[in-house]
Amino acid sequence: MSETSTTAGSKGESREEGVYRGTVEQKAIIRLVKVGRTYWRGKEKIEVLKDLDLTINEGAFEALMGPSGSGKSTLLNLIAGLDSPNAGTITVGGVDLTGMSDAQRAKWRSNNIGFVFQTYNLLPVLTALQNVELPLLLTRLSSSERRKRAQTALRIVGLEDRMSHFPRQLSGGQEQRVTIARAIVSDPKIIVADEPTGDLDRENANDILNLLERLNNEFKKTIVMVTHDPAAAERAHHQRHLDKGKLT
Amino acid sequence: MKYARIAVKNVLRNKFRTIMTIAGITFALIAFLAVRTVVTSWASAVDHAAKDRLGTRHKVTFVMQLPRKYVDDIRAVPGVKAATWANWFGAKNPNNEQEFFASMAVDVPSFLEVYKEISLTPDEIAAWKGNKRAAVIGDVLARKFGWKIGQKVTLMGTIFPGDWEFEIAGIYKTTARSMDRSSFFFHWDYLNDSLRPELKDRVGWVASRVDDPEKGAQIARSIDKIFDERDIQTVTMSEKAMQQSFLGMFGTILKALNVVSVVILLIMMLIIGNTIAMGVRERTNEYGMMRAIGFRPAHIAGFVLGESAFVGLLGGLIGLGLGFMFVNFGIGKFLEENMGGFFPFFRVAPITAAFALGGAVLLGAVAGLLPAARAARLDVVQSIRKIG
Repeated sequence: MSETSTTAGSKGESREEGVYRGTVEQKAIIRLVKVGRTYWRGKEKIEVLKDLDLTINEGAFEALMGPSGSGKSTLLNLIAGLDSPNAGTITVGGVDLTGMSDAQRAKWRSNNIGFVFQTYNLLPVLTALQNVELPLLLTRLSSSERRKRAQTALRIVGLEDRMSHFPRQLSGGQEQRVTIARAIVSDPKIIVADEPTGDLDRENANDILNLLERLNNEFKKTIVMVTHDPAAAERAHHQRHLDKGKLT
Repeated sequence: MKYARIAVKNVLRNKFRTIMTIAGITFALIAFLAVRTVVTSWASAVDHAAKDRLGTRHKVTFVMQLPRKYVDDIRAVPGVKAATWANWFGAKNPNNEQEFFASMAVDVPSFLEVYKEISLTPDEIAAWKGNKRAAVIGDVLARKFGWKIGQKVTLMGTIFPGDWEFEIAGIYKTTARSMDRSSFFFHWDYLNDSLRPELKDRVGWVASRVDDPEKGAQIARSIDKIFDERDIQTVTMSEKAMQQSFLGMFGTILKALNVVSVVILLIMMLIIGNTIAMGVRERTNEYGMMRAIGFRPAHIAGFVLGESAFVGLLGGLIGLGLGFMFVNFGIGKFLEENMGGFFPFFRVAPITAAFALGGAVLLGAVAGLLPAARAARLDVVQSIRKIG
């Protein structure tokens, strides 16, 4: 039940240029319609998102930017199925998330979403390989198959020689690459990244962004990245700015 | 099994805390095993009672005495093979007043006939019989006080005040656990002859050996029937029942020990619960991440409960091992030798060991219930917010 939309051909081109060169028909993989999300702090109502419409096409690499409290992370959580909206509908990969129970959303996330967090959040008692294998524990794959896939994912992120290392034995950049390997190991269509370079120096940040670009280009992953860093956002194909719960 | 690895690894995450927790469980289990063994061993003293022996005492209480002539009446009851009598003397060793031991005045010839499990050499028996002030003592008591055969000892009377002089004629061993090895037996005549006329010829209790243990209850009724119409009535029961009635006096202590053993287990549960709760609090972000990538609340609860039960199992195994050695090879040997009358066989019973280990694992899991429920209920978004 994927929808289609017409967008410009490539980064930097205006819509007109895209039309001139020939429009590219792309499937919308994420579609939010009139989405609202409200929180309560005591008796105070905080409207984080209001009447938000958003369409992201399959294979896109999008950056969500905005000041603190603008609703970027809330939007990312809604797209990833971690949270439910108070209003509107969210359709991801043709599936309406708004009607799903918590358990259904958990199962859906394990099959469709890869997560990259700012602080990596690896289990310190597991090796890099075991950390990457973690999402596969939820599948029916055999132990050897899980191991094989985790090894492949670590090879993709360039950590084949660090598989048996524990997180404390890795640098920040290496830890984040393990997180990315964990995000792709179950081959999800979408990767959501919340400030993936927030804790890294420029060199390591560039490595991570190169890796995300590669996942987008070579492996056709749709990437939605929240970032404060304009240099990181520059690497995305499309930047969106949120302010006071609205896309500007 | 694939999930168990995570639960087990989490146990070893904070090694110092885990070691302290397991040490806590270990000490709790050692205390539990010791207390439970006191209860079971005390009660098992009853099981070691001689089956063919009856005891007759004053109907009101065994603190009150019976006329000496009752012994002859009992001997005349059909089915009674032999009868003897004894008085509790309650002596203390003036050189070591704190050390308790049983001291009894007995009629030597009939005593040896009724208590066949007392093992003495013929020379020792002859020496005992031939000297009114002679006494025999258990080998454990002899070892404790360093008394030797032929040695003259002076004891301090508590029920019968004064200094009492004895000569050690023999050191007995026992062939059954129905008799302890730290008692002091001397001639009843020595005691009786020294009493004022109004206190003479009174016995504490009568012990009789019967032909057929199966008819014990019937013979006991026959004995009591003889004295029904007399000024002093009796109550006769098997040695087992007599010990049970004696144990009844300590019923409150046994109940208190039972409560203490339960309290020990509860303390152990709280130790585990506290450790697991701390771990869960510290790992909120990790559980949030796991929920995000698709683990369900039941998985998270399972990890916490598995970890909790594993801590209980580890502590249980170590506690059981050390507790077993402490009880069986430490205090057990000491109590059997020194308080054999109360604890003829002070060893960890298999049921106690199974209960201790099972209890440690089960209570470990129960201790994890609350932290597990809390971890399972974590709000994913809030947990992830803690990440960054």
